Amino acid sequence: MTDSAIATNPTPVAAAAAVPSKLTVRDLHFHYNGFHALKGIDMDIPEKRVTAIIGPSGCGKSTLLRIFNRIYAIYPKLEANGSIELDGENILDPGYSMNRLRSKVGMVFQKPVPFPMTIFENVAYGIRHHEKLPKAEMENRVEQALRSSALWDEVKDKLKQNALGLSGGQQQRLCIARAIALKPDVLLLDEPTSALDPIATGRIEQLVEELKSQFTIVIVTHNMQQAARVSDLTAFMYLGELIEFDQTEKIFTKPDKKQTEDYITGRFG
Amino acid sequence: MNTGTDHIIKSYDTELTRLTGEIVRMGQLSVKQLEAAIDVVERRDERAAQRVVDNDDTIDRMEQEVSHDVVRLLALRAPMAGDLRNVFAALRIAADIERIGDYAANVAKRAIPLSMVAPVRPAAGLEHLATLAATGVRDVLAAYQDRDAERAHAVWQNDTVLDEAYTGYFRQLLTYMMEDPRNITPCTHLLFMAKNIERIGDHATNIAENVWFQVTGEPLQVPRRKLDETASADFSGLAVKPNKP
Amino acid sequence: MNSPYLRRRITNALAMVLSTLATLVGLAFLAWILWETLRQGISALNLKLFTRITAYGDDGGLANAMVGSLIINFIGIAIATPIGVLAGTWLAEYANRTKLGESIRFLNDILLSAPSIVMGLFVYTIIVLPSTALTHGSTTFSGFAGGVALALIALPVIVRTTDEMLRLVPSTLREAALSLGVPQWKLTLQILIRAARSGIITGVLLALARISGETAPLLFTAFGNNYMAINPIEKMSSLPQIIYQYANDPGDAMHALAWAGAFVITMFVLLLSLGSRLILSRTKVSHD
Repeated sequence: MTDSAIATNPTPVAAAAAVPSKLTVRDLHFHYNGFHALKGIDMDIPEKRVTAIIGPSGCGKSTLLRIFNRIYAIYPKLEANGSIELDGENILDPGYSMNRLRSKVGMVFQKPVPFPMTIFENVAYGIRHHEKLPKAEMENRVEQALRSSALWDEVKDKLKQNALGLSGGQQQRLCIARAIALKPDVLLLDEPTSALDPIATGRIEQLVEELKSQFTIVIVTHNMQQAARVSDLTAFMYLGELIEFDQTEKIFTKPDKKQTEDYITGRFG
Repeated sequence: MNTGTDHIIKSYDTELTRLTGEIVRMGQLSVKQLEAAIDVVERRDERAAQRVVDNDDTIDRMEQEVSHDVVRLLALRAPMAGDLRNVFAALRIAADIERIGDYAANVAKRAIPLSMVAPVRPAAGLEHLATLAATGVRDVLAAYQDRDAERAHAVWQNDTVLDEAYTGYFRQLLTYMMEDPRNITPCTHLLFMAKNIERIGDHATNIAENVWFQVTGEPLQVPRRKLDETASADFSGLAVKPNKP
Repeated sequence: MNSPYLRRRITNALAMVLSTLATLVGLAFLAWILWETLRQGISALNLKLFTRITAYGDDGGLANAMVGSLIINFIGIAIATPIGVLAGTWLAEYANRTKLGESIRFLNDILLSAPSIVMGLFVYTIIVLPSTALTHGSTTFSGFAGGVALALIALPVIVRTTDEMLRLVPSTLREAALSLGVPQWKLTLQILIRAARSGIITGVLLALARISGETAPLLFTAFGNNYMAINPIEKMSSLPQIIYQYANDPGDAMHALAWAGAFVITMFVLLLSLGSRLILSRTKVSHD
């Protein structure tokens, strides 16, 4: 029937069975400053699909996303319990190397933050840390990453210019290029278009559609319509709990839970 | 009116194109059904008639798919302006095509009892009506595919020809029935079949109105002249006084 | 109905007038100082000022004082900058929200406002006296000691600026680098310092401007020298110290020289301030 390869009318369990799970979350709890932010999350994020997480402010969606690459670890008094399996290994295990985790799970943030370097250096920086590549190969990798993020044509003549001179939308695509240059398995997008105008937003959404053939993508967005446009599956969270998680089409046409329906129809914020 | 440039998100274009394609396919199938129905009337082939009747399920299923796709598009894409009219029109046109398919199947259904009685002369006249109707549907589908509002308007106006032909046929059948009571059964069937075909023409004009709205954004204002005067006409001038119904 | 609105307008006008007056008063004094400095020192502003040494008295110039100032300031900044930048970086990146960090910031602020003469005495005790004893009197006061004293004054300024500038860098930048797997030290060195670069440089320039005018600490560390000295082990004169010396002299020609020296320092500080502004503004890139 449609572009997503998932069968037409699967149940959520059947959907999970049809596509392998890339990130398997089991009984995840998260506390910060004594506040119980995430309460027993169970979730199977399928491989090479776009999963969106929506919910009102403070529901824990960004918190959940940031656990997937353990970026919370740099701040004190934050604690995660439970398990998140990536390719069969629990990434919350203290023995799991951060370096390895971050080469497998990349992240793009809400505000475009290019490094204060040239465009080329921005993309090459992360690669250099993990791999020793000869010059020609490095140039290849950088070009590949910039092509994949639909930025190559716009910057190929100014790779040596400072990245801060690019427009907001271009900077965000540069940040995406920077993340995918490491060839991660999973790409985390934390409200990637909140700071961008509609056309730049559209370009990034088109980019996400192109990228899902290579990466598993998890996107947090406060814009429900964006989740509807862009994702294959949608998770609705409220007050730290996962209320419903299903095919995007089902969530937006006939959700199971009343809370989901209320949120989507704008009956509560 | 051309939509011009593509959407930034290409899958959106793909979905809209697919929707248009589904409508066109549905319509083509309905025309085929009509032509097949007339064919089985001429050949007096019972089994072929049954096949036409069964085929109507396909059109019904396609209409359901269109409905489902429209709901999906509305929920996930929140279409605006031209895209919105596009999707909205598709929903209504699919419903009209589904009715056209039903009417064609009804004609085929009546061909079965018709074939069980002796053939009557006016049966040949049905083909003329069907040709007019089929042409109307084909034209309006082409107008839909090409987003041609003018062509749709032409179909809308041309329906008067079908209406007039139907009125004439109606008169002819009445005459035939009055001549010989043994003709009443087959002629009554033919009457219903002719009415079905006339209704197909009306639905084609509905489609035309939707195409006009989709392209221009305005409703087709002028109220259509319905020249089916059988409801109001005075047939008392005919040879024998008709019996009370 | 008009009354509250009218009252507000009057209050507004009053405040505007008072603040404008205050500004004008401040500016007036500034202009007066500059004018006085120029007027008093103009007679000594000639080539002689830059070529002859103070040994010639009122027939001489301030060449050795200027060279001495340059050397002592340079030593001061050379010592204070690396220590200050590293300390500021440590405070901002590794001790940011900790109790230890807060205490150190507090101590730094105290050091920032410590009287400079105390620094002079301190360096006298830890460098001048021991070096006198160790070298049996051949090295007593020295330009180096002067430099150390100035370094102690410049240090807290640089620490503070570096700390502030690094804390201004958005945390998202850190998270973005960490998400690539880059460790904290690497990201600090290669990204954060670069991002805060212009602010840090400004801090250093401002510290330099501050120490250029310090007199008291140099009195018992560099002491002074009427002859040209470029070896930091020797006693050195400096512009602020010469001004102090000549101001006490009864001769008018000496006064003029002192004013000229003051003018030179003022111009130097002005150039440094303008320079730091230029650097800061040039590296501001606007995003949309």
